[in-house]
Amino acid sequence: MTNGKRTDTQPIDAKMDKMLSSREFPPVPADRLKRIEAAVVSDLKPVQPLASDGAYLAGLAGIFVAVCVIGVYVLGQQGWRALSELQKVAVFLPLAAITAVLAFSTVRQMRPAAKYARSSALVSGTLFILLLIIMAAVFQPVQETGFIRTGLTCFRTGMTYAIPAAFFFALLLLRGAALSPALMGATAGGLAGLVGLTVLEIQCPNLNLYHIVVGHVSVTLICVLLGVVLSSAAIRNAGHRIIN
Amino acid sequence: MDQPSELQLEASRSIPDLSLTAIEQLMAGYQQADAAATSALIEQLSPQLYRFFAAQQGNRDDASDMLQDAWLRIHRVRHTYRPGEPLLPWVYAIARCVRVDSYRKRRRIAVREIVVETLPEPAVASGDFADLPHFEQLVADLPASQREVLTMLKVNGLSLEEVARATSSSVGSVKQKVHRAYERLRSLLQPPRAGKGAGI
Repeated sequence: MTNGKRTDTQPIDAKMDKMLSSREFPPVPADRLKRIEAAVVSDLKPVQPLASDGAYLAGLAGIFVAVCVIGVYVLGQQGWRALSELQKVAVFLPLAAITAVLAFSTVRQMRPAAKYARSSALVSGTLFILLLIIMAAVFQPVQETGFIRTGLTCFRTGMTYAIPAAFFFALLLLRGAALSPALMGATAGGLAGLVGLTVLEIQCPNLNLYHIVVGHVSVTLICVLLGVVLSSAAIRNAGHRIIN
Repeated sequence: MDQPSELQLEASRSIPDLSLTAIEQLMAGYQQADAAATSALIEQLSPQLYRFFAAQQGNRDDASDMLQDAWLRIHRVRHTYRPGEPLLPWVYAIARCVRVDSYRKRRRIAVREIVVETLPEPAVASGDFADLPHFEQLVADLPASQREVLTMLKVNGLSLEEVARATSSSVGSVKQKVHRAYERLRSLLQPPRAGKGAGI
């Protein structure tokens, strides 16, 4: 049955192939080609190709660790001491994995046509959902007084470290070419948010699940959102400026 | 000293000018601000890019504008090409980004726009193809993602791997899109079977 169907479609497939590949297009308008050449050649300057992915990964890791260390130095590590061994592994192992995959994706997006740029971003999103599930399993929800106040305090603290990290990440990443500004903003914003989340997990001794989700995890989510909005706007404006 | 044999000389003469290595060398020259290499690169890549835009747009002015925009972007991000890597996926990744942006821009102003010039009729309209619709009519019926992949593969002659890299997807996903595109085209081209469903 299948063979019969294949035999049926072979002549039509061959015709389609031939037609698609032999389609003739008019030549590029000569004046336009000359204009492009003139514009490009008149602006020629030697450029240094982008450094290796490893170098950029090391840069991102350096910024991540530096900001976290400053955060822990300033705020202390009461949260780390409050966590059980199981909770430490359950929180920091997935956090490290998400950070590594997200950094890989961000660096890959700096070059057009780099492999695994999008797929690794999807993997990091999946890992983040996994982290939330693990948190729900290892932390208990507790009714507490002053829930909003403590949540906001932690959120502000997280953002205090996420924003400078985002600034330094942006300085590093601006040398690349983000073909999808929204995705680049999401991954870079996510990385900055993870800096805030890591600092909070080490600093904050409140182990209430609701507090962790509202006061800590929300820092990452808000940073992803801000990254999408700001990078889309910034790159669009830059594009218009250069083209006009 | 070994002299190259007649066969080797013949083989070296038969290497096409547009080999990937040659293009990548020109790109390296472009990054080093070599004007001759830059001009050669523009002349070699522009017809391919123009075909890519024209095959999906069907409007000569739009295709020219997109070609110019593509070169502006290539120029701006030329440092992101890493010597030694395949150049065509890098170029087409930028080109498809230009096409998508242009599509969005045109869609915003579509109500006020009047198409003044369209591509001429296909040159091949006889013999084997006499019974087939025109290229534009055929591909216009496909979803944009399938049309794009089909154009890269069949019109621009990229490999599956190159298309996958240019579109940030997997080879499997590209194959699936081509398969679906072909199924759709087949259904458009296959003559309706007489008496189907009525002859029991």
